[in-house]
Amino acid sequence: MQKTLEVMGQVCPFPLVEAKSAIETIQSGDELIIQFDCTQATESLPRWAAEAGHKVTNFEQLGDAAWSITIQKK
Amino acid sequence: MIQMLITGLICGALLGFVMQRGRFCLTGGFRDMFIAKDNRMFYALLIAICVQSVGVFTLIQLGIIDFTAGNFAWLGVIFGSFVFGIGIVLAGGCATGTWYRAGEGLLGSWIALFAYMLMAAVMKTGVLAPVNTEISSITLPENSIAATFGVSNWIFIVALLLITGGLVYRELRKPKIAIPSLKPKRTGLNHLLFEKRWHPFVTAILVGLIALLAWPLSAATGRMSGLGITTPSANILQYLVIGDAAFINWGVFLVLGIFLGSFIAAKGSKEFRFRMPDKKTGINSFIGGLLMGFGASLAGGCSIGNGLVMTSMMTWQGWIGLLFIILGTWTAAYFVYVRPQKRRASQSTPSQQAI
Repeated sequence: MQKTLEVMGQVCPFPLVEAKSAIETIQSGDELIIQFDCTQATESLPRWAAEAGHKVTNFEQLGDAAWSITIQKK
Repeated sequence: MIQMLITGLICGALLGFVMQRGRFCLTGGFRDMFIAKDNRMFYALLIAICVQSVGVFTLIQLGIIDFTAGNFAWLGVIFGSFVFGIGIVLAGGCATGTWYRAGEGLLGSWIALFAYMLMAAVMKTGVLAPVNTEISSITLPENSIAATFGVSNWIFIVALLLITGGLVYRELRKPKIAIPSLKPKRTGLNHLLFEKRWHPFVTAILVGLIALLAWPLSAATGRMSGLGITTPSANILQYLVIGDAAFINWGVFLVLGIFLGSFIAAKGSKEFRFRMPDKKTGINSFIGGLLMGFGASLAGGCSIGNGLVMTSMMTWQGWIGLLFIILGTWTAAYFVYVRPQKRRASQSTPSQQAI
């Protein structure tokens, strides 16, 4: 199962705040795809995922100031 | 004039570039101390303060620059810094942060920046100037911490170095976890400058060196101080509407340089795009900008002017100002992030139990 969280246009730290609450709504092993354009979240999202023990299965830049990260819940 | 323009722009551009690439965000750093119990950015700030402090006091010792701490306008510093701390959370970045995010194309930061310049000008030469003067006239005679205790500045500098060293050592000894990063697409210098993730402590050393460099460069044009953001930001607006060239100084080119440097960094790393905020973010940015302009003018400095520069000069204004900026950030963070989340959590629990 995958769930997409679209936080384009939201500024730091809201992408992270949203991601933290979205991951609560999915099952272990499911994936959360986060699409964001906040530069600082390129640092805060993977860092949070790693510290919380989730697995980052994809992390890519979509275009100018636009990124997508996929986090698999532990 | 030409010298002012060139050295100011270069110093600002270096700072903007380093801050953009290093993601050097003090607002986020202060906020995360509270909401994530993460002190890394605060330690990074301490590193930058140490670097600048050792450098500037060495320059003073050598007679290259001149510094007098003056008196301590404690009421303005405490109240202004607290208001400034609230403002930077609403605006999504401190004064410098707002300048560099504006360079990344965030239109919300343009709004915040305009409100900030406006309010700073209102406080310095506008209708609120008497209020500002009145509050700032409540002072204590001694601003220098060392002078208060009748000892050398170096005692406090050494103490700060030891404390910072200890904190950094402890932080670096924590077990490392691998943080996933984007696949590198570039090599060599291009990768290093426009792609690689910079360690906050490395960024902090660079910020400290640039802050140090600002002193002699600024002094050479007759402006005897270090990095400053609020007064120059107000000066731009004052110059534009009054047309008096007396408002133009080294600091004006410094802040314009931050914008330029951040733009170059963002453009070069494909992180520049004009981004329009939603209504709520736009309004918050405007209110935040006004509070920042009000607070920083009253306190005689922002998170850079007081938090980075006056701290390294070992003044009460710097350290008390920094403390109250942080307290303001925490207060605002509670109302903006913590309370809404608690509410959401308490609302969602009963419905989940029903299932």
